[in-house]
Amino acid sequence: MPRTNRSGGPCGSPRTPPSPLDRTFGSIGLAFFAVVFTAAPAWAQDANAGKVVYERKCVGCHGEKGDGKGAAAELLLPKPRDFTKGLFKIRSTANKTPTDQDLFRIVSDGMPGTSMPPWEVLPERDRRNVVAYIKTFAPEAFKEPPKKLELPKEVGSSEASIKRGKEMFEAIECHKCHGTEGRADGPSHPELKDEWGNPVAPANLTKRWNFRGGRSRTEIATRIANGVLGTPMPAFLEAVEKPEDIWHLTNYIVSLGPDSPQPATLVTVSSVKDAIPDDPAADFWKKITPNNILLEGQVIVDPRNFNPAIDLVSVRAVYNDKEIAFHLTWDDPSETKGDGKTTFPDAISLQFAPQQPTGTERPYFLMGDATDGVYLLRWEQGKGVGELSAHGPTKLAAIPGGEASGKAVFKNGQYALVMKRSLAATGTERPSFRPRVFTPVAFQAWEGGAGESGPKMSLTSWYYLRLEEPQSNRRFFIPPAVALLTFAVLGLIVRAARSRAVQ
Amino acid sequence: MRKTFVALTAMALVGSAVMFAVGPRLAGAQGGGTVEVEVKYNGAPQVEKLKVNKDTEKCGQEATIEKVVVGSNKGLANAVASAPNAKGAKPIKAVVDQHGCKFVPHVSVMAPGEMELKNSDDILHNIHTYSTANPAINKAQPKFKKTMTEKFEKPEMIKLTCDVHSWMLGWLAVVPGIAAVTDTNGVAKLENVPAGKQKIEVWHETLGKQDKEVDVKAGQTTKVSFEMKGK
Repeated sequence: MPRTNRSGGPCGSPRTPPSPLDRTFGSIGLAFFAVVFTAAPAWAQDANAGKVVYERKCVGCHGEKGDGKGAAAELLLPKPRDFTKGLFKIRSTANKTPTDQDLFRIVSDGMPGTSMPPWEVLPERDRRNVVAYIKTFAPEAFKEPPKKLELPKEVGSSEASIKRGKEMFEAIECHKCHGTEGRADGPSHPELKDEWGNPVAPANLTKRWNFRGGRSRTEIATRIANGVLGTPMPAFLEAVEKPEDIWHLTNYIVSLGPDSPQPATLVTVSSVKDAIPDDPAADFWKKITPNNILLEGQVIVDPRNFNPAIDLVSVRAVYNDKEIAFHLTWDDPSETKGDGKTTFPDAISLQFAPQQPTGTERPYFLMGDATDGVYLLRWEQGKGVGELSAHGPTKLAAIPGGEASGKAVFKNGQYALVMKRSLAATGTERPSFRPRVFTPVAFQAWEGGAGESGPKMSLTSWYYLRLEEPQSNRRFFIPPAVALLTFAVLGLIVRAARSRAVQ
Repeated sequence: MRKTFVALTAMALVGSAVMFAVGPRLAGAQGGGTVEVEVKYNGAPQVEKLKVNKDTEKCGQEATIEKVVVGSNKGLANAVASAPNAKGAKPIKAVVDQHGCKFVPHVSVMAPGEMELKNSDDILHNIHTYSTANPAINKAQPKFKKTMTEKFEKPEMIKLTCDVHSWMLGWLAVVPGIAAVTDTNGVAKLENVPAGKQKIEVWHETLGKQDKEVDVKAGQTTKVSFEMKGK
């Protein structure tokens, strides 16, 4: 039945519950409308209402004509969808026509890792209408009805299945684009383009939460079987050895990373007694719990970064009686020194207040300002680790006498870096680190290969860093000493009591 | 005078009746003529070279992107010559091989229907078609998938790419009637073209399309020449 009861109007103004009388007239009205509107195709009605929603919410990126050339389009990557071609990335169908539900899901849930937000805030009716309207941009593409994709019989995850999935991953050469460990760093990644000629990045398979079409096993299996239309990702349904390999591949991909980024709220610095190794690959670091920090694009000052490349840094931090060290890992598809024109050196920095703040006042999080600077512990490809002072994102200066050291290793699309510094510091530009104190810290990262440098970066706001209680040997001595003392006192009391009894 | 006219009319009638009766079969066999299509281009060849950064053991160190190949005597290679309205042609089934990280041949012709796609490279390729009249496909062809069969039912010039090796470019001409691709001298022979007026079309991936009408004579070779203009 066509949806005719639109008392809320396109703006969804609040409705009052209808009285019984209203309901009677309402039903008559409804019957009347049903008779009138069944003559016209049902979607045409929805599409008209959808147009209103589209022009309010979608036009900025997808454009008035639905060609993906809205005002914001040039700033975005991946580019907004051009609906006029009728090509849709995410579909559950065997042919190129998506179901209405496929489109509805993307409108509702958005596309993780892109600028397409979830529109669940809109009433369901508006979202369904907008789907109907989107379809009017390429009516030809929807002439062929959607054909359901039949996935092979599901195979649950097991060690054997994951092993087979890995074999298939190598045999069908997924690594060509997605990289050996799935970090989107394969040899073909820099040259990939979509059917509009725009650069397109392969999925980082270790970050499932960014999968455009969803992270569930069925969704992943569907992408492998079906490909991603309009992009270089081909369909593999007929290109695996046995149909069930689709599920083995799915199980392997799921095994490559966690379901969610599991972000930390506080960076804990563990206390260690041993010497801290410089080598980021040392076993020492594997025993330290990582704190995952999420980064966002810098969009406050020009040049802004609307499509940040680095969205997550894993931080392992330790200190001993002399030094503090930070072990950072982050994904980057290519190790870049930069040509200085379109590419720049990869870099990362930790930001602190120059002196431990006494109150809640902290310097401006975006690398300080003219009056209140910040202290940076920074690593840059080709330069190594340095201590800098900054008064804003373009005003950086090396601190004379800096003594930080470190080492970076790049492997399979991931940097691992150790930065070390003495715990105590001299001068007004360099902070000292003290246990049990909540120390403000912030992070910045640059993917030089994607043209990030200067203010064009990923960053965080202020977080807190806390150095754990120093682990001294006292815990091994004090409790037994207290116990011994107690016994001794008890013994004395007993002896005194006895001697008194004897008297 | 009058006798001559009657005789001529009778002959013409009989002749056309015979033609009408056996025409289609003749056209497909010995009754047609040959059209020798010569395609020339006055401009410079456009061939780009690209350094290969992966799979060099299969793809070589350098990839060649042949946008315009001009041979001896200004002959334009890789152009599709066709008599699209010629009925009764033998269907051509194209075989495209992904070999040495190239589509071989660079331009293939086929009658609407099935074609065969090979991978002789022992590495992953994918076949990504930029078709609009036919369903667009993007299918993986891993090393163990030596042959695939694909269907293209509608006439269309289809661009073929492989996303794994971005320089790989090929064309699949789905053409009804009789078609052939010009050789390095810019010549293509269309055999068994039914006699009579025929539209001859020439298409080139970079230089576009032209057509001419040709009077085809049974058992004879008719030459037709095209001069492509630079874009």
